[in-house]
Amino acid sequence: MRLGTRIRAISLVSAGLFVVSACGGSNTVSQNLAPASQQILRANNGVEPNSFDPTQQTYTYEGAVGRHVFETLLRPKLDNSDVEPAAAKSYDVSTDGLTYTFHLQTNAKWSDGKPVTASDWVYGFKHLLNPALAAGYVDPFFDTTIAGAANYGTIDVSSASAIDAFLNGLGVSAPDANTFVIKLQAPAAYFKWVVTLWQAAPIRKDVVEAAAGGTFASTDTTKAFAWANSATTIIGNGAFKISEIAAKDHVTLVPNPNYWGKAAILQKIILYEISDGNTAYSQYQTGALDMIGVPLADVTVVRNDPVLNKQAKLIPTNSNYWISYNGKKTPLDKADVRMALSKSIDRTKLVNDINHGNGAPMTGFIPKGMSGYDTTDNAQSFDPTAAKALLTKAGVTVADLSKLKLLTRNSTGSKTTNQFLVDQWNTNLGTSIQVDVIDSKTVTSRIRKGQFDIYGLDGWIGDYPDQQDWFDIFQTSACHSLNWGCITIPGYDALITKADGELDQVQRNKDYLTAQKMLIDNAVVGFMFQPYEYDLVKPYVGGLSITTGDDQNLPGDLRWTTAYITAH
Amino acid sequence: MAVIAGRPKRGALLPSRLASLTDSRAGSLAIFIVRRILWMVPVVFFVILITFVLMHLAPGSPWDKNGGRQLSQTVVNNLNARYGLNKPVTEQFWLYLVNVLHFDFGLSYQYEGKTVASLIMTSWPYTVAIGVISFLLIIPVGVGLGVLAALRQNSRVDYITMGFATFAASFPNFVVGALMVVAFSVLMYKATGGNFFLPAAGFGPDDHLVLPVITLSLLPIAFTARLTRASTLDTIRQDFIRTAWAKGLSERLVVVRHILKNSLIPVVTTLGPTFAFLVTGSVIVETLFSIPGIGRSFVVAIESRDYPMILGTTVLFSVIIALANLAVDVAYVFIDPRVRLTE
Repeated sequence: MRLGTRIRAISLVSAGLFVVSACGGSNTVSQNLAPASQQILRANNGVEPNSFDPTQQTYTYEGAVGRHVFETLLRPKLDNSDVEPAAAKSYDVSTDGLTYTFHLQTNAKWSDGKPVTASDWVYGFKHLLNPALAAGYVDPFFDTTIAGAANYGTIDVSSASAIDAFLNGLGVSAPDANTFVIKLQAPAAYFKWVVTLWQAAPIRKDVVEAAAGGTFASTDTTKAFAWANSATTIIGNGAFKISEIAAKDHVTLVPNPNYWGKAAILQKIILYEISDGNTAYSQYQTGALDMIGVPLADVTVVRNDPVLNKQAKLIPTNSNYWISYNGKKTPLDKADVRMALSKSIDRTKLVNDINHGNGAPMTGFIPKGMSGYDTTDNAQSFDPTAAKALLTKAGVTVADLSKLKLLTRNSTGSKTTNQFLVDQWNTNLGTSIQVDVIDSKTVTSRIRKGQFDIYGLDGWIGDYPDQQDWFDIFQTSACHSLNWGCITIPGYDALITKADGELDQVQRNKDYLTAQKMLIDNAVVGFMFQPYEYDLVKPYVGGLSITTGDDQNLPGDLRWTTAYITAH
Repeated sequence: MAVIAGRPKRGALLPSRLASLTDSRAGSLAIFIVRRILWMVPVVFFVILITFVLMHLAPGSPWDKNGGRQLSQTVVNNLNARYGLNKPVTEQFWLYLVNVLHFDFGLSYQYEGKTVASLIMTSWPYTVAIGVISFLLIIPVGVGLGVLAALRQNSRVDYITMGFATFAASFPNFVVGALMVVAFSVLMYKATGGNFFLPAAGFGPDDHLVLPVITLSLLPIAFTARLTRASTLDTIRQDFIRTAWAKGLSERLVVVRHILKNSLIPVVTTLGPTFAFLVTGSVIVETLFSIPGIGRSFVVAIESRDYPMILGTTVLFSVIIALANLAVDVAYVFIDPRVRLTE
């Protein structure tokens, strides 16, 4: 879902013919630490957050602020293998998988020093799930899981009594100050991951109401956000707090002095909002920024620069790019045709020539670094001869295929990539497929209505490293919302529903592997590559705990608390 | 039917108390200004109408994302209800007009809980600072270069000045800006080991202003210089200048009092469009140098289809440009005594 910034990702993310250690670096604090006054990290976050209310945030550049100011109940482990305690020191799941009991950190405090209580969590979840406030992440993560939330989409948002009745019927409760209980509609083995989403945050009722000038109706969509407009009233429970919001320029984070956990070493993190990648690159070169994403156009320059080359980091991301085929259009309704198109693209060439080596070719769904990554099914691998044979078998001619168009967003990155894709088809299959370049917003409205033949590159950045987040994309119910091609595979939906709820992790993994084989073998989409980030980080920035889930161009941001600046 | 003999006296339809105003020069100026300001009402109305129509014709809704997972229809419906986008478009238009009459420009769709007015208020000082400094730079530098080139016509000074002007006028500001960042920021940083360079981004009342101001004003300076030169050359050949020289006036007097004053009339005419250029040029310069001004807000608003913000900014731009043109027309009166403010 965080793929809202995909275009930016294509243009900024960049990769390697050689591999720079991504997750390396020692986490032991260097003896050579810079004094506290110099513990300042200046990074480029690219865009100003649209909101500082974590429940309203959806983009990576918003998470880059929200997830540090607010701490979630659980968080992903560095290696993505499981969740680990955060604001909750432990949690229990009832044997029927329906009740999650979170035991909160007893010494947790808000940034103004008041203790964090379970009722703050209840209020936060009700704020998130208020239909009038239309938070972007509620559907499908929270309304399909939490008990009483299923009719979220049908509540009359102009009626305070209807909203209040809905919110009071939610399965969230605080039996005591340190215990927060969530009841589910049905078993959901992935729910422990859902509560790692930074939107699932506690919120202080007294702070919200003070900023609003008193209590207000649940239909009021202005007063509910008044608190999030000023650094002084954004009271969080995270390791950092906001000290300054300079509109369209930067946001400054400083350590929350009342945070219960290990104190951060960095005394200031300044997240700049420079949208032009080249401007950010200039700022990095002139010492004004410590951390940036390398613009695609400058990747080769950086690789060949003896100094910059050593500061570059090539980082795999928890994402995958593919091309979508419209299953409602002939001849793309035939699996053999889709497979033929998928098999006639040289992904290695795509990654190396078009994406400057910043990525890894993919013929499967789940990216490397996540449970479920599997390379045994090579059905989609590059093989033009086999592709032509498939076309013959399907009885589809080159002329039929040549009528197809590849829907392309009007951005340099998309145009370059898609021109390469049609060249591959036209060279390897003898077709004359063309690109159809259209304004990005129009492309979005077309794919929502199914008005395309082939569309790409589409893709996914995982919200959390659990396979449910990935496999749900291709369910029939997601047709026209995520599953643009609307290709139905018999048995897929039932299998995914079973796996999503399955409490036995081994069986779950087996089911997802079967589902992955269905996606690959039916060529529901043509998998292309796992994009890598190519970032520059000054040599004096140390202690970065880099993971595949870090926010865009902010390597190590999920654990800023371990980062530090060495004397320089 | 009676034949109307000639136009009625100007101001004839005004109440007699005001009609006397038209007899004096100051009075007719006042009436001229009031009329022009009143004319801005229909201008702003049509600006809103056209922007509103174009905005809604532009594909995509404010809730569409540029790729990846889209907001679910459930959320989109709630958002539409929250911002009144579920009402018919005509009703939305009238509601907007009514609100504008109350100086309420609405809530931004993009920035949660922020009013358009507050967003504009936080961003305008940056745009104004850079615009005003550029404007103050353009007039003396542009006019100075133009007069100098004309007075030394066909000399080396003339060739160098006009060569520069032609060069500067042919480069779009995003190219100029990018080149200057490379030269004065990155390369200079490397050459001096970081001791002397100009910052490539951000805003500050210091060296941060240098590159954006130069980028923004280079083209208007070149344009003004070329125009001033042509106009000055024209003035120099006039009879009254020959007379001035013949009277034995000093060069300073001839140039300043007679040549310059008369050459400036066409230049003043272009100051309105120049001002408009500074306003619209801020869109590119602010994006390039990452300055949090109105120009950058405008780009961001269009990209995200933030309807109230697009409308608010467009209205502001149109009012500023209309006022600048009015100021230019008024300036004529003082520069050129031949100008009468007639319809």
